[in-house]
Amino acid sequence: MPLIGQLALALALMVAIYSIGANLLGMRRNSPDLLLSARHALWAMCAMVTVAVVALWTGLLTNDFSLEYVASYSSVTLPIQYKFAALWGGQQGSLLFWTWLLSIFTSVAVFQNRRRNPEITPWALIVLAGIAIFFLGMLNFVTRPFDLLATVPPDGSDLNPLLQNYWMAIHPPSLYTGYVSAAVPFAFACGALITRKLDDGWIRTTRRWAIFSWFFLTLGNLFGARWAYEVLGWGGYWAWDPVENAAFMPWLVMTAYLHSVMIQERKDMLKVWNLALVGMAFMLTLFGTFLTRSGVISSVHSFTQSGLGPYFLTFLIAIVVGYTLLLASRVKDLKSPAEFESYLSREAAFLFNNLMLVGIAFAVFWGTVFPVISEAVRGVKITVGPPFFDKVNGPLALGLIFLMGVGPLIAWRRTSPQTLMRTFLAPVTMGVGAGVVVFAMGLRQWYVLTALSLAAFALGTVVVEFRRGVSARRHLVHETPARALVNLVAKNNRRYGGYIIHLGVVFAFIGIVASSFFRTEVKRSVRQGQSFSIGAYNITYLGLKGVENAHLEDLRARLVVRSGGREIATMEPARLFYKRPQQPATRVAIRSTPLADLYVVLAGVDDQSGLATFEVFLTPLVFWLWAGGLMMAIGTVVVMWPNVRERAALAAAFGRDEALDAEPAPGGD
Amino acid sequence: MLVAALAAMALAAVMIVPLMLPMRAAHAAAPSRQEIAEALTCQCGCGLTVANCNHPNCSFSVPMRQRIDTMLAHGMGRAQIIAYFRKQYGEKILSAPTTQGFNLLAWTMPFVALVVGGGLVVLMMGRWRGGPPSAPPAPDDSSPGASDKSDKFDPALRERLERELRERR
Repeated sequence: MPLIGQLALALALMVAIYSIGANLLGMRRNSPDLLLSARHALWAMCAMVTVAVVALWTGLLTNDFSLEYVASYSSVTLPIQYKFAALWGGQQGSLLFWTWLLSIFTSVAVFQNRRRNPEITPWALIVLAGIAIFFLGMLNFVTRPFDLLATVPPDGSDLNPLLQNYWMAIHPPSLYTGYVSAAVPFAFACGALITRKLDDGWIRTTRRWAIFSWFFLTLGNLFGARWAYEVLGWGGYWAWDPVENAAFMPWLVMTAYLHSVMIQERKDMLKVWNLALVGMAFMLTLFGTFLTRSGVISSVHSFTQSGLGPYFLTFLIAIVVGYTLLLASRVKDLKSPAEFESYLSREAAFLFNNLMLVGIAFAVFWGTVFPVISEAVRGVKITVGPPFFDKVNGPLALGLIFLMGVGPLIAWRRTSPQTLMRTFLAPVTMGVGAGVVVFAMGLRQWYVLTALSLAAFALGTVVVEFRRGVSARRHLVHETPARALVNLVAKNNRRYGGYIIHLGVVFAFIGIVASSFFRTEVKRSVRQGQSFSIGAYNITYLGLKGVENAHLEDLRARLVVRSGGREIATMEPARLFYKRPQQPATRVAIRSTPLADLYVVLAGVDDQSGLATFEVFLTPLVFWLWAGGLMMAIGTVVVMWPNVRERAALAAAFGRDEALDAEPAPGGD
Repeated sequence: MLVAALAAMALAAVMIVPLMLPMRAAHAAAPSRQEIAEALTCQCGCGLTVANCNHPNCSFSVPMRQRIDTMLAHGMGRAQIIAYFRKQYGEKILSAPTTQGFNLLAWTMPFVALVVGGGLVVLMMGRWRGGPPSAPPAPDDSSPGASDKSDKFDPALRERLERELRERR
């Protein structure tokens, strides 16, 4: 099996190189056969990488410890789901997984464009194959997943205990899917630049890819946060770790792109900016992969450090320089009509939204690389951690939420101050009202007051939009409110799906603000039968229970939680000891409600005194971070949902093929 | 123009004011162990703060938290404790750059970039506004709620619905 895997990777590299040659020659000789052969070569590449992935999975599932990778990241007793997940638990495997996703997405793009975009597609496929060649080169020559050990150990050293968690099984695939699918819009942007086909054709072709990438970047970030929340045991979910930042930056830039692209689709403006954003988003995904691999900046994610750094850095620099030069050489072809009437317009709101999103991305980037800069300039190692990012991004987030409230209600082109007053009366009242209410409730932190007011304002905007749409349908089409709501969303899925995402963002923002400012913590050492309190909860320690299997020792504390004298829950935080790597870990117990999460960590047990030490966090409203995330995911599905009416209109206008994947301009209905 | 300038100033004020104030005013009165531990970076290699290090038996963060507790019990203040550890371990122990010298660049750069970027955006919009006048707006060119007419329902919405009705027939 290892031999088959290694061979498949070598073949994949060869067919990827062949596809570039065939595409170049096919374009030069104008030969459809050669171009077809190039596309088939990419399918062959995908098939070969799939064989390699299956080979490595087979090795993991059959405990083939002759493979160095399996011996390093698995063990006989590792539960089967984590053997499966061990594919992305170590460096070689995760690079193979990256390459596999890239080859799958490339194949899908090949299929989608088999009859469309005849000029751009070959170049886009060359770019995608080029990226694949870099990764396949790494897998064939630098960090090989199928290297064999001279002496076969009886058991492996096991997967890092921190990775043996449900969320860790799904966080990397989500994030990688988001990262890798950003390559498709990037490749088509390159194709458009090279061929000078610079209308919005490449944008329409890749709009779904960009949303797809954004969707998985969103999920990847959220799953990662959830993993941190459940596994790291400090009661928080985001530590502004360099690798978290690296996953957050492409999300920000992709969000900016998805907004600014609407201006290009509608007004044919901002061409250079959109090309820059799509390039930046892809480069930041590479930067994220580089950070995890290189160990340049120390991180909680240093599971997979290696000597890959220099190769990645070279590749990254080549992409940045190459793309920048390409874009610069085409600036003359990218002249946009200058149609702009008023600062009080949707265009202006979108431009400021872009400024804010890219501003936050820059602040995060700057904070992430500043330690390296400081060491280079002053020779002093410093740390840029959570206090920096909280302080710098806190105010920027307020600006963003404010603009999120303004954008949807302000018209394209221009809005008169009178209309503005009338339109914004309800949302502003909601915002100010919310501020007054929480102030009256005794809240005095100015940041929280502002944040909650702005959140209520942004929420008000969405509510107003839905209410107007529903009300119009009820009166003009005579539908019931529920039916009007469903039809409103179904018939205008891009617009109202977007608003559902906005709702999700607002809820997540409220969750983040409340959980950051009002988390309380107690640490208590108690004997069996003793109780302690946090907030309205009284917690009694009932005793310990040990569970042991071949894989780990699991020491659970049993707690009864009472509120108002009534028993409301039993919780079992645990200390784990993983036998193969001889590493301890904690398993937190969480009781989550929409109002607050009770989060209990068993910090230690003293056998002699019988004292058990608990760290307990009471975090208000953190529930809404996850609920908001779910809402964002649902909204994205609504946005991506095929709209039959739009397709029919497109099919009539452009012919069937064009309509298969293309979409009309957003907000056009 | 005046309205835009005012809006931009208001936005800038919203963003800058927070920096002048302590983010977590609630903690200002009595420093907690958590607050101090968040200001210090764990040196075990995890890259997290002393408050957040996830290693159950960490040789750095676990004793460090106890030392902070002891120092707080002896009545030492936040600044005192942090200064003590900085002297012992160097600047890298701090979880955020200081606000002096070269480190000021870390704090100011994001806002400088934002102001420069904002300036460019306003400048560009000003230049675009001077461009040739555009055609009259298409019926679907406005969004719901953004019409200048005081019709009960937005013309864009009405138009959209009428189109849907036509299609249904």
